[in-house]
Amino acid sequence: MDWLLDNAFVQDIITLARPATYNLYFALISIPLGFPFAMLLALGKNSSNRVISWFSRAYIYAFRGSPLFIQFFMFYSFALSLNRPLWKPMGIDDIVLHPLFLGPLVLVLNTSAYAAEIFYGAIRTVPKGEIEAARAMGMSRWQEFWSVTWPNTIRLAWPAYTNEVVFLFHATVLVYFTLPVINEQKDIMNKAGELFEKDYNLFLHFSVAALYFVVISMLIFFVFGLIHKYLTRHMKKDVVPKFSFKPKYMR
Amino acid sequence: MIESVVDVLVGLLGEDWRSGLEYITNGKHMAWYASFKFTLIAAVAGAFFAVIFGLLGAALKQSTFAPFRWIGSLYVNIVRGVPDVLFFIFFPLAFEQTVEYFFSRTRCTAEEIANSAGSWPPCDAAQWYLSGNDYLILACVSLGLVYGAFAANVIHGAMVSVPKGQLEAAQAYGFTEKQVFWRFKVRQMWVYALPGLSNVWMLLLKATSLLSLLQIADIVLWADRLGAPNYLARAGLVHPDWRWKYYLALFIFYILMAMISERVFRALQNRASRGMVTVN
Repeated sequence: MDWLLDNAFVQDIITLARPATYNLYFALISIPLGFPFAMLLALGKNSSNRVISWFSRAYIYAFRGSPLFIQFFMFYSFALSLNRPLWKPMGIDDIVLHPLFLGPLVLVLNTSAYAAEIFYGAIRTVPKGEIEAARAMGMSRWQEFWSVTWPNTIRLAWPAYTNEVVFLFHATVLVYFTLPVINEQKDIMNKAGELFEKDYNLFLHFSVAALYFVVISMLIFFVFGLIHKYLTRHMKKDVVPKFSFKPKYMR
Repeated sequence: MIESVVDVLVGLLGEDWRSGLEYITNGKHMAWYASFKFTLIAAVAGAFFAVIFGLLGAALKQSTFAPFRWIGSLYVNIVRGVPDVLFFIFFPLAFEQTVEYFFSRTRCTAEEIANSAGSWPPCDAAQWYLSGNDYLILACVSLGLVYGAFAANVIHGAMVSVPKGQLEAAQAYGFTEKQVFWRFKVRQMWVYALPGLSNVWMLLLKATSLLSLLQIADIVLWADRLGAPNYLARAGLVHPDWRWKYYLALFIFYILMAMISERVFRALQNRASRGMVTVN
């Protein structure tokens, strides 16, 4: 056993396990919070109400058109400048300025714009016949949404949404490049950089960091693939677009 | 020159604007404006390299020689499987270390290497000093490598969409396989590749904000410096923390760049699809 633990590669895998939980934390908080927000934005963009539609469009465009790196800096400096007038008197400055709060917040704002664009595309391609059928059955708009539009949207958007989730996981790297690192709260890239500065063994540390990302990305694809299978369980196998483990990776 | 511009603007807007306009045109701010060139250079040169690596990757992926195909797929999958930031930082450092390794082979004595005990480089003579401009070049190549992998997929897909008949016609005329590839496939695939390439360009454009991670004094680094609370012993607090204003300016800058790119790509697409029958 000892020879295994003495191996530098294995050592690195062990060292980077705890930092990996920070990346996972950011992703696991942001995904469930971003999902409903993205759905609302997509419905907003599709809305016939001019104001709501314009606002959703502008939001999606702004957050998709600018780098996440800048968004992190911007929101952090916003939060900092509001510290004295707002957070301090309310006594929540510790929470608001903490990377474990601010990081997921910005990630949610960012990922919902990307996911909203995906959902919007899916909403537009919901089969017209099914909506007409729902109307012919005399369903209310609410029933029409929940029994036709929503399930179809999710099903159609799922492969692209999976891609977005993987991208979000990759984007968690930027949190600690922009927000302050507190004590030992370091993510994979921080820790890999720290290890690199100790012994300059770039190829070893960065390969292990890359390995963590590849493996967790594959896990995401696996889990989301199972969900996709569940979502399309009632459909003929040749109708369902094949869920590919070879991601398109286009954000 | 800039003073006269300020004077003209003050004449137009009124004397109240003078101090503000003078502030945003002082030396440091001019340096900030000048640093936009790094971002633009990185974007354009990065895109150039990305197309080169994309073409190479796509050519490898379609090769009839299996090991070439494996290399192509390996490149595309590895680069895209890890965050772009990781690769963006890794590549310049790896390149530097590789060069330093070859330096150390010739410039360091065996004793020095034995005594170096894990520190890098093994001896001072092997140290390779890189200037900001060198890092900029490395950053461009690095952006090209990362987004070349994305472009490779797009180009590969586009090449597959080139009508078979066109290539068969070329073969029938007696063009060699190489000629068919470069003169017909590559020439005709741009129409199909453009929408995807515009996506890659948008990604690349956004990634240019990462230049400061490679110690390049780019717009982000300057925004941070200019916005930080400015305290002078003589004048007291000149301004409090204004960073959010500068980042907001960058936020808007990138959105404007995205808007411009969108327009340009739409015009390119129209031009590239001249004479083609388009549905919708």
